[in-house]
Amino acid sequence: MVKTASVTDKPIQIKVFPQRLLQPATAEKLLNEIDQVKGVIRMLIGGKNLPRKVTCGPGTGTDVNHPNMEIIHVGDCAFELHVMVGEVIVEIENESAKEDLRKACERALPFSFEFKQGHFIKKKATLTDYGKYGFKSKTDDSINLEDERILGLIDPHAKAETNLCVIGTEEKS
Amino acid sequence: MAYKPQYYPGNTSVAKNRRKHMSDDVEKLRDISDEDLTALLGHRAPGSDYPSTHPPLSEMGEPECSVREVVEPTPGAAAGDRVRYSQFADSMYNAPSVPYWRSYHAAINFRGVDPGTLSGRQVNEMRERDMEEYTKRQMETEMTCPGLAGLRGCTVHGHSLRLQEDGTMFDMLDRRRLEGGVIVSDKDQVGVPIDRKVNLGKPMSEAEAAKRTTFYRVDNVSFRSDKEVVEHVQKVWELRTKYGFQPKA
Repeated sequence: MVKTASVTDKPIQIKVFPQRLLQPATAEKLLNEIDQVKGVIRMLIGGKNLPRKVTCGPGTGTDVNHPNMEIIHVGDCAFELHVMVGEVIVEIENESAKEDLRKACERALPFSFEFKQGHFIKKKATLTDYGKYGFKSKTDDSINLEDERILGLIDPHAKAETNLCVIGTEEKS
Repeated sequence: MAYKPQYYPGNTSVAKNRRKHMSDDVEKLRDISDEDLTALLGHRAPGSDYPSTHPPLSEMGEPECSVREVVEPTPGAAAGDRVRYSQFADSMYNAPSVPYWRSYHAAINFRGVDPGTLSGRQVNEMRERDMEEYTKRQMETEMTCPGLAGLRGCTVHGHSLRLQEDGTMFDMLDRRRLEGGVIVSDKDQVGVPIDRKVNLGKPMSEAEAAKRTTFYRVDNVSFRSDKEVVEHVQKVWELRTKYGFQPKA
């Protein structure tokens, strides 16, 4: 698999928007099905925040212990869900992977879903990214990142270690 | 002939339900004990006395006032209870009550109310024991489905979200959840754990919720399908606009 988003043929982005908010088991199944599709470059999970503690009102500071804050396994990666999954944005290498992706979603989701194509994650570095990562060198003004696929996947101030998973790079590259 | 209030126009099921809510002609569907309700509200320990903010009115020696003589105080006001609140969030996916209709229900059928109405939630302040009576009425009747509505003192997020897979409204603080076909709650309305699991009863099925809802939705009963309601709303809008432009006002 290529390591930069910019050199891929013509990547397209799809937003999978299920009719219901997903329980961790369904989310795990969906993400694994998507992971199996050939041509997936990256995916971004979005949903409703599950806080660790009550953040306002008289109960501020009380532990929430939300049962949906589970550890799920996608590919060879395990991570804790911080959201109740409501949408998955998937970037694929080209149009040919689109139908496989739709079929993967149909297999995983027991209800209907929206399947929209559009521009949802940024594809090239912006000023904020240059501010965070800098240039490669004085003579090379490309962004100082080994893998450009992480652009747009996390907030500029968020830590990559807790928000990002790199799945199966060894066998695929 | 005795006067019969005409609460709301329309012939659709939604209009009829709205009339039912306003007139308090609602069906009781479940039982919630006083102690459980007190625990859910979280304002005082279940079984404890009502804390008071002033002595009972009978001991205070009120000034001579014709209005005070005419208006009988509510039990909470007479006892000097604190003012406390309860707040409901209702899912737009056919929850039985629209926040506005909770307010209408409170204002028409209870005294000493101070309802605050927002798009997805409704808060009501009353004297504590009056508020408990009012909250119990709304929770035990068809005005509330435990799956599609909830007692949420804070972090009310859920009204406009898609439902969860199990058909219940999203609750960020996990105050209540579906367990064995019924909704149970083990936290009070602000997310603090309580010493019991309160059974809030079975959630309504999709068909039942669609039948009992007061929400107009294009995928159930659309607002535009009720000509009488549209006419009424347009009339109110027109009169309000004309009133607003009174040059002498």
